[in-house]
Amino acid sequence: MKIKLENIQKEYRTIKRNVLVLKDINFEMNEGEFFVLLGPSGCGKSTLLNIIAGLENPTGGRLFFGDKLVASENKRECLTPRERNVAMVFQNYALYPHMTVYENIAFPLRIAKTDENLMDEQVRKSAEILNITRHINSKPSELSGGERQRVAIARAIVRKPAVLLFDEPLSNLDAQLRTATRIELKKLQRELGITTVYVTHDQIEAMTLGDRVAVLKDGYAQQIDTAINLYEKPANKFVAHFIGFPPMNLFRGRVEKEGNAFCVPLKEEKIFVDDFTLQTGKEYWIGIRPSDMELTQGEKGLSGCIDTFELLGKDALLYVSSNGMEFSVLVPKQDFKAGQKIKFKPKSDKIHFFEN
Amino acid sequence: MSEERAKSILTGLTVTFMVLFSLIPFIYMVLVSFNVNPDFLDRGWLFTFAHYKDVLTEESLHFIDYLKNSIVVSAVSAVFTVFIASLCAYALTRLEMKGKAFILFLVLAVSMFPQVSMIAYLFKIMVSLGLINTYPALIMPYIAWTLPLSLWILVSYFAQIPKELDKAAIVDGCNEFQTLFKVVFPVALPGVFSTTLLAFIFAFNEFIFALILTTDYHSRTIPVGIAMFEGLHGQVPWGQIMAASAITMLPILAMTLIFQKHIIGGLTKGAVKG
Repeated sequence: MKIKLENIQKEYRTIKRNVLVLKDINFEMNEGEFFVLLGPSGCGKSTLLNIIAGLENPTGGRLFFGDKLVASENKRECLTPRERNVAMVFQNYALYPHMTVYENIAFPLRIAKTDENLMDEQVRKSAEILNITRHINSKPSELSGGERQRVAIARAIVRKPAVLLFDEPLSNLDAQLRTATRIELKKLQRELGITTVYVTHDQIEAMTLGDRVAVLKDGYAQQIDTAINLYEKPANKFVAHFIGFPPMNLFRGRVEKEGNAFCVPLKEEKIFVDDFTLQTGKEYWIGIRPSDMELTQGEKGLSGCIDTFELLGKDALLYVSSNGMEFSVLVPKQDFKAGQKIKFKPKSDKIHFFEN
Repeated sequence: MSEERAKSILTGLTVTFMVLFSLIPFIYMVLVSFNVNPDFLDRGWLFTFAHYKDVLTEESLHFIDYLKNSIVVSAVSAVFTVFIASLCAYALTRLEMKGKAFILFLVLAVSMFPQVSMIAYLFKIMVSLGLINTYPALIMPYIAWTLPLSLWILVSYFAQIPKELDKAAIVDGCNEFQTLFKVVFPVALPGVFSTTLLAFIFAFNEFIFALILTTDYHSRTIPVGIAMFEGLHGQVPWGQIMAASAITMLPILAMTLIFQKHIIGGLTKGAVKG
């Protein structure tokens, strides 16, 4: 199922004030795509998911499933979740505590008045897919967090929805289980081929799961792209800083022409740039990933002093003060000492420039 | 003596005192009901079942009628009250609307009216409706009377149920009524049970409305019935009154014991993380 969002807007009106959570959201999701909505908390990503689900109505714009209009500001044009045929998995599982696992999975089919035999077959099949057949007669309270989330996913896929929605489904699991479930989830989605929208604030989840990722902030989609493009070609300063760990070094500066080459003058030294197509002399945000820095002995480097450093397995993350700023530099581990003087330089083709 | 020992002794003493203080009237009631002489401290103890036998078999006392009336009236009003209160509590906790707190406080304010202030007018209404000495004459005021309390209890129970459960139910295809009766209501069952029990006891014990709105054993309830017990020659039949009171305790006691198992919290365990 293709999903198309057109100028989606959502405003909450309270007695005290009106809050415009989503200002103007536009994008399309392709058939069978694993689409991730990523953003810091409070950016409206869950609201957007609820709008796609039909749990909330937008206050502006239009939402299409395929060619069919399913929601607009006109309430009468909004379809219920049932009519849209969506299924949803929640962060806190939202299992029905008074029912067994079997009844939980069967619930959507029962509500839809599915034939008993067909229902039994489908319930058992989805329980098998998620490997919870042996818990089928347990109550949710007897299961662990990971098992509960499996039940919730089984309940979501049992009636073959047109769209699967996930609202931070892994946040309540511990780190190891989260990684394992993430991998399974990706595999499951690929096998089922159902268009999936996945909300998370965890960039690792977004990067590993999503065919494409939309980064949301301040009510707008900041960038919609594949994970690798978000990392390598961030569209703006926010995305650059939000994606990637350790976060990108960001500072303001002007590019000047120097002979055939370009450079960014800092307080005392200069950063050399190979290729520059934007306007010289204009102030930009300049971004350099810590991993795009290298230590150097040559002249064209910046000199600095290691304030402190962290050892991360085979790499070391150095916090270096240089030219009145603090840079983080990720380099292969050596015998570093705090207070040590070093020279380093950014790889000249890996420097990002962002307009204000 | 160690501090802990002192603490446990003090706790024990307090508990014993509290339990005795509450139970002594009941013990006295049971003792009198089994004794030939109500003033057994003066005239000596003489065991008998006669009072119970009288109460249960003597037609002129109408005890069985009163008991039946009480149970029917209380049960019907409790069930209606909880049904209405749960619909209302669901709306107040789940739907978007303005002035929820105002509605709740208004309901609470209504329940503060003293019963006596309404009874005269209520009597006139029931007379005009021709309902005096019928079940509806009691059931309707009881529903109105127990509704605020039931609503407040159920609102607090419903508010504890995570909203994700409703969302899940709606996504799974439920309409509002299915969400309420297939998901919210069963999850809130302990609260629903205790509310039903409370509403039942409330109606079961009520005296003033029952006194004014009923005239004879066709609809008179137990509290009034027992108060109107009269001996053959106008004397106060203490033994029979106590025997009737003791029997009256049984339905309430039984209900509490049966529902006790359901009135435990933690049924929502496993619904969501926690």
